[in-house]
Amino acid sequence: MAAEASLRQPPRLGAAPALEVAGLTVSYRQQPVLRHVDVAVPEGQLVAIIGPNGAGKSTLLKAVLGLLPIDAGEIRVLGRPIAQARQHVAYVPQTDSADWDFPITVREVVLMGRYRALGYFGRPRAADHARVAAALETVGMTAYADRHIRQLSGGQQQRVFLARALAQEARVLLLDEPFAGVDARTEAAIFELMDRFSQAGQTLIVVNHNLQILDRFDAVLMLNRVVVAYGPPAEVVHADNLRRLYGGRMSFVDEAERALQEGPADVR
Amino acid sequence: MSAERLLAQSAADLITWQERLLSPLIDHRLQLLCSVVVGALLGLLGGFVVLRRMALIGDAIAHAVLPGVVIAFLLVSTGVTGLFVGALAAGVVTAVAISLVTRFSRAKEDAAIGIVFTAMFAVGVILISRLPAGTHFDLKCFLFGDPLAITETDWHSILLIAPVVVGTILLLFHPLKLLSFDPVLARTMGFNTSLLHYVLMILLSATIVAALRSVGVIMAVAMLVTPAATAYQLTNRLWLLLTVSTVLGGLSAAAGMFLAFQFNSPPGPMMVLVATVVFLLAMALAPERGFLAVALRRRRIRRHILEEDVLKMLARFEETPQRAAAGLAAALTPADPRAIGRAVEDLARDGLVTRGQPEPTLTAAGRARAQDMLRAHRLWETYLAQEGASERHLHAEAERLEHAHELAEELDRTLGRPAADPQGKTIPRREG
Repeated sequence: MAAEASLRQPPRLGAAPALEVAGLTVSYRQQPVLRHVDVAVPEGQLVAIIGPNGAGKSTLLKAVLGLLPIDAGEIRVLGRPIAQARQHVAYVPQTDSADWDFPITVREVVLMGRYRALGYFGRPRAADHARVAAALETVGMTAYADRHIRQLSGGQQQRVFLARALAQEARVLLLDEPFAGVDARTEAAIFELMDRFSQAGQTLIVVNHNLQILDRFDAVLMLNRVVVAYGPPAEVVHADNLRRLYGGRMSFVDEAERALQEGPADVR
Repeated sequence: MSAERLLAQSAADLITWQERLLSPLIDHRLQLLCSVVVGALLGLLGGFVVLRRMALIGDAIAHAVLPGVVIAFLLVSTGVTGLFVGALAAGVVTAVAISLVTRFSRAKEDAAIGIVFTAMFAVGVILISRLPAGTHFDLKCFLFGDPLAITETDWHSILLIAPVVVGTILLLFHPLKLLSFDPVLARTMGFNTSLLHYVLMILLSATIVAALRSVGVIMAVAMLVTPAATAYQLTNRLWLLLTVSTVLGGLSAAAGMFLAFQFNSPPGPMMVLVATVVFLLAMALAPERGFLAVALRRRRIRRHILEEDVLKMLARFEETPQRAAAGLAAALTPADPRAIGRAVEDLARDGLVTRGQPEPTLTAAGRARAQDMLRAHRLWETYLAQEGASERHLHAEAERLEHAHELAEELDRTLGRPAADPQGKTIPRREG
């Protein structure tokens, strides 16, 4: 309990970064999806991950969350392995991954953010319900609290997921394409919310497709199997890097990997 | 015949009638009770099965308990405990084998389920043929159930299982809800989702064993899926869904048993048919989602739209009187003239028009409504033109969208309160 309390303090100078990934390699069906990824995110930063489809952006998030086996490398969240840092990490999945027909209200979805704290046998208490109400208020969804989730628009679904992450009281938020399928006005509203979380000291790592808004992030991670560039947007977002990120051929290493998988051309 | 005798006669009739209907159930109250409890348990578990899209896995487990039951039969012959251990083992082996096949082959889950449960079932059938002479294992009873053969021993095993199933679901309600809605979130929170999955599988295997005598494996799946699907049709809350599904499962079993005695037919299939009829009723009559409700809503909306069209047309007639010459029905083709007549009746009753010859005229209230419609229509046209909709589609599309006039005010604001539509027609201002 004491350790828990001290973790809630603002980060001290030289404290462990929010996220530290070193030499990470992850494969899917023997094909490497991420290779030797090194990233360190200081606490309180708002970081965008960009890259083409299949570049391993979601894979990186899932590896950080401990949902995938990793081949090599190390991942530390707030200086600890993920298994010991789960209470500080919240995941905001893509909205189309959820079953919006499930018999559940908005409030109940947000209440799920409290479930880790409840454990297997706990029952939500007044304090949990109060946190849920506060989270709903923050994202402006109080009026929808007792509606069924099917009645929500895309932007509202995203707000509900953000409220759930908020109810988790996590210090690190991993968001997978929060702007997918929402219009420009909703995107701006969601970004504003993320900005507020960031101001409040939370670390946000956001898989993002919109290149127009990159300058509003503290840092941009350009990822295409490997780290193409990582740094403040002013330094890394330029034509040269973007061409390297999105354009061009498969890397030699990728081709070699495939050849090793399928056998050299003369054997096939 | 004197009145007393008539009364006595009808009282006697009533008693025999009651006896004929109820006495089989009273004679078989143990069997009835067992079937009801098993139906309720299957309904309860079915809620999670349906929400997690595991109907096929339920089917697989039901079939795959056969080798477990036969092996237990071989080893310990009649003991109920043996049967349960055997069935549980087979259920878990099936669930594990399905996930292994899915993981290590290209087969997707449905194919993996097909491979595993038929294999298990085949093993069971071969094992039956190897049973020593003299032992009797009734495959037909395993498949289709035979509630009348339920004994005290079955009741005792149900008494053991029911509290375990209900207790586990109550205890793990929140994690199971999380697992069903968002398994990935559950894992990121550190819940052991495989463990939760297998807990459900074990409860399912145990309940299916208990259900074997009542409904048999094939019908067990129906009792697992159908009441839950009915409940899903009716409610938007998980706890309510589980409650309704449990009650429906129990009631279907009771009603099925009753009808089976009336029509002298096998009880298991009767229970399934009752559950199915209830499902069909729910499908048709459910509020909001049932197709009757949907059809009624559509009809209401259609009538509403026609009424608004009548108002708008009358307003246009006032704007350009020469158009009125053709008449309302011609102006509103292809709408059915009788439907237009009904719409005018309704509008007159609401005080929006006054009946008149040859056409009705707008009242002040009707005129205000019609102005709102025209306003919405022209705002939508302006908006669609801005969005780059083609001239040709503009009118038709606006004609459809104008009926969503709650949005018109927001549209007006967004467009910067334009004075005229693309064709230069004035967009009426809203008074006040």
